Amino acid sequence: MGKPEVKRDYTLGERLYLVEIVKGLGITWKHFMKNFRASLQKGPHTVPTCWQYPWDKREISPIFRGEHMLLLDEEGREKCVACGMCQRVCPAKCITIKRGKVKEGEEAKYAGKTYCASFEIDLLRCIFCGLCEEACNKGAIVLGQGYELADFSRQACVADKKRLIGNFLRAKEEGRLKPKRPPVPVAGAKDAKAAGPQKAKSAGGGQGKGLKRGV
Amino acid sequence: MAQDYVKINIGPSHPAMHGTLRVIAETDGETIINAEPEIGYLHRGVEKLAESMTYHQFIPVTDRLNYCSAIPNNVAYEMAVEKLMGIEVPEKAQLIRVIMMELSRISDHIVCVGILGVDIGALTPFFYLFIQRETIYEMFEWYNGSRLTNTFGRIGGVEAPLFPGFEQKWIEFKPELMKAIDEMDKLLTHNRIWMDRTIGTTAFSAEDALNWGFTGPCLRACGVKRDLRRDEPYCMYDKFEFDIPVGKYGDVFDRYWVRMIEMYESIKIIDQAIEMYKALPDDAPLMAKVPKILKASEGEIYSAIESPNGELGFYLRGDGSDKPYRLKIRPPCYMVYQAFGELVNGEMVADLIACLSSLNVIAGELDR
Amino acid sequence: MEAWGVALIKVVFIWAWTLIIATLMTWVERRGSAMIQDRLGPNVCGPFGILQPLADGIKLFTKEDIVPEKAKKILFALGPIMFALPAFSAYAVIPFGDKIVIGGKEIILQVADVNIGFLYIMAIGAMSVYGIVVGGWGSNNKFSILGGLRSTAQLISYEVPFGLALLSVVIIYGTFSLREIVLHQQGTFLGFLPNWGIFKQPLGFILFIVTAYCEANRVPFDLPEAESEIVAGYHTEYGSMRLGLYLFGEYVNMYTLSALMVTLYFGGWHIPYIDMSKFLGPVAYGIASFLVFFLKTCFFLWLFVWVRWTVPRFRYDQVMSLGWKSLIPLALLNLFITAFLVQLTI
Repeated sequence: MGKPEVKRDYTLGERLYLVEIVKGLGITWKHFMKNFRASLQKGPHTVPTCWQYPWDKREISPIFRGEHMLLLDEEGREKCVACGMCQRVCPAKCITIKRGKVKEGEEAKYAGKTYCASFEIDLLRCIFCGLCEEACNKGAIVLGQGYELADFSRQACVADKKRLIGNFLRAKEEGRLKPKRPPVPVAGAKDAKAAGPQKAKSAGGGQGKGLKRGV
Repeated sequence: MAQDYVKINIGPSHPAMHGTLRVIAETDGETIINAEPEIGYLHRGVEKLAESMTYHQFIPVTDRLNYCSAIPNNVAYEMAVEKLMGIEVPEKAQLIRVIMMELSRISDHIVCVGILGVDIGALTPFFYLFIQRETIYEMFEWYNGSRLTNTFGRIGGVEAPLFPGFEQKWIEFKPELMKAIDEMDKLLTHNRIWMDRTIGTTAFSAEDALNWGFTGPCLRACGVKRDLRRDEPYCMYDKFEFDIPVGKYGDVFDRYWVRMIEMYESIKIIDQAIEMYKALPDDAPLMAKVPKILKASEGEIYSAIESPNGELGFYLRGDGSDKPYRLKIRPPCYMVYQAFGELVNGEMVADLIACLSSLNVIAGELDR
Repeated sequence: MEAWGVALIKVVFIWAWTLIIATLMTWVERRGSAMIQDRLGPNVCGPFGILQPLADGIKLFTKEDIVPEKAKKILFALGPIMFALPAFSAYAVIPFGDKIVIGGKEIILQVADVNIGFLYIMAIGAMSVYGIVVGGWGSNNKFSILGGLRSTAQLISYEVPFGLALLSVVIIYGTFSLREIVLHQQGTFLGFLPNWGIFKQPLGFILFIVTAYCEANRVPFDLPEAESEIVAGYHTEYGSMRLGLYLFGEYVNMYTLSALMVTLYFGGWHIPYIDMSKFLGPVAYGIASFLVFFLKTCFFLWLFVWVRWTVPRFRYDQVMSLGWKSLIPLALLNLFITAFLVQLTI
């Protein structure tokens, strides 16, 4: 054992500290001047690497995995049928669903035969992995772009059904809905291109194996 | 005399301790006589957790192992499960995995090299590199919506093709990245202060490194040319051309230099992978045919990949149910960190810090 | 002898001026480092964030004053004061301009033109290390003690080349008074070079600037407070205004050392090839000389910041070996050559 002897030769330039230090000063000076000029310009986002957060927000990806939303279909009916798939697949166990049966006269409100009487996501537990979205057969739960989730109480961080649907309505209004993504082609499927929702459903649907994405 | 030494507790909360590591150092003045690393401050019982989670549910947990580069962790785990179940992953999915893994290797090395600079007192190159890391994270975000904890890939493939503008983004990003690495190189490598601080500190012989179970850049810095990507190819790595940089003495400088060169090699691999990706048809499969509910047959396997820190292995035992019977993770940091006392003995307090950052010990991976 | 009133005004002026510069330097440091590192830095308080130091000051003053239970209370309280006081008083002998004539009275722009200005600077400069050691010891924290010890070793080693470099200047100009040294630097040298210290003492200047960085505890010699190694060094346990005094003292030290560099090596208030006193009125000349001196000082202040964000930090033993094995022999050589050349020319 014992440490090996290290012998490396320094060149003369390396030996005299100053040469490399002056070169280094040159590099930092270039950066300084670039940013100095940029910071003199008017505008919110002059230095390209700096986002001045509350006033100046970064463009986030359209498929960003942020706060969830519960989707309504074109006729304004809730898509969720409370099958509990998301609840089962969730690694953080943050989703709680209560199922309710659709009564007569309520068909205009709900798309399926059952609906979620309550739908709670504990955002403090949620890890935003997106598995619920993939597990959902109906495309009812989708992760949106909301990321400002801080609040003052624990209770306020539990998103209920109203808030989740509100997220959807707001996103729809702002045009920030997730773009529809084609299903992932699966090996062995006869014609991967034509593998519509049925095919994707047959390949997934179970334990977080859903492959559908998008609204 | 032993009682004359001063015991210093470095960590678990100390500005230079990455994550929650603790070193109990006995010092004589500034010289370390005996350093005893202590681990377990970030122990979350990940391996036990796996036994109560289905195979898919565990993917997000692997993000939290080495949180500086989540993607290789995801892929390593997915590959272990695929091996256990005998699933063949389509070529296109493998290419996406390679591209993402190499991107995340770059980001991991950026963290390591940048923090090494910070710990030795050079704060500026850290920022130049971290700005590039930000772009890498942006690419991850556009790929599947998450920046740090990616939950990348699914068992049997990946969840999405590369987003449409990916190649363009990479072409724009590559020169920026090369420039930043180059600037770091110019600011540090030949600076005598940096050389004095890194050359010869905590040197380690190849024999010792092998005996302690070193892998990855730390082993290559000692002069052993071992890289799982070449020695036990996976994910089509045998089809790429790349060099494996090796050091000579295993000191901090060699570890730094090996990581710097590896970043360039990763860029080369990504270039080739994108070319191969483009050659494949648009509707080439991204997923293998996977049963609805994943149930592994009985059996045990060990599968390892070359993660940015070294050999990241998953030992997996199935019992026919949809949950693993036992999962054991072999993190590269664990093996490296156990030699830490040996490495820093006789060095100075400042070297301890430099050594720790050059090993790139990630507490999440170390303590599991 | 000057009138009491004039002396008092000068004392108050230079004291306030140093304070303002030190405060502004914290802002320059933060903005400058941000610009170097592709960031923005504090830019919300006031135009370009220039009021940020004020906000910081208010914060430091109003924060809770925490004294660790097992600290040595008297030493703990004494540390920051012992560090800040010498820093504030060191500027007394350094000129900040030539002279100004107001109401027929000639006022020298310097608090005290003592003929042993050098010794004063050396003595007061060495004092500040006591503040660091006392604070480090009084905190009763291992990291603080390490910081204090590092600082002691560093100061002892670098005081020697610092003194030797200064001595070479003294040999050239034959005086200890800083004002007279500046007056000597007027005109040209060898026909075309400005008659500045840097051209007569190039090696001496390099030695001086290196040791000055060490005296000011700045990167690459910031070992006493190396935050990645020993948390914050000697001020680990300090908070509120006590910490403020330490931080402040550091910038005041920087200002003093920069002014000293200008005085000794960069011709004080002189502009090369131009004699301002010939075509400016007495009052205008006084102000102009002050401004020229200040601008030159600013450059060196900026150099402190610029270097800090460019280079890494030395290790303890490397600082020692650089000091003893390189700087002291070089300083002695420089002294010898200077003495030899001066002897030849006289």
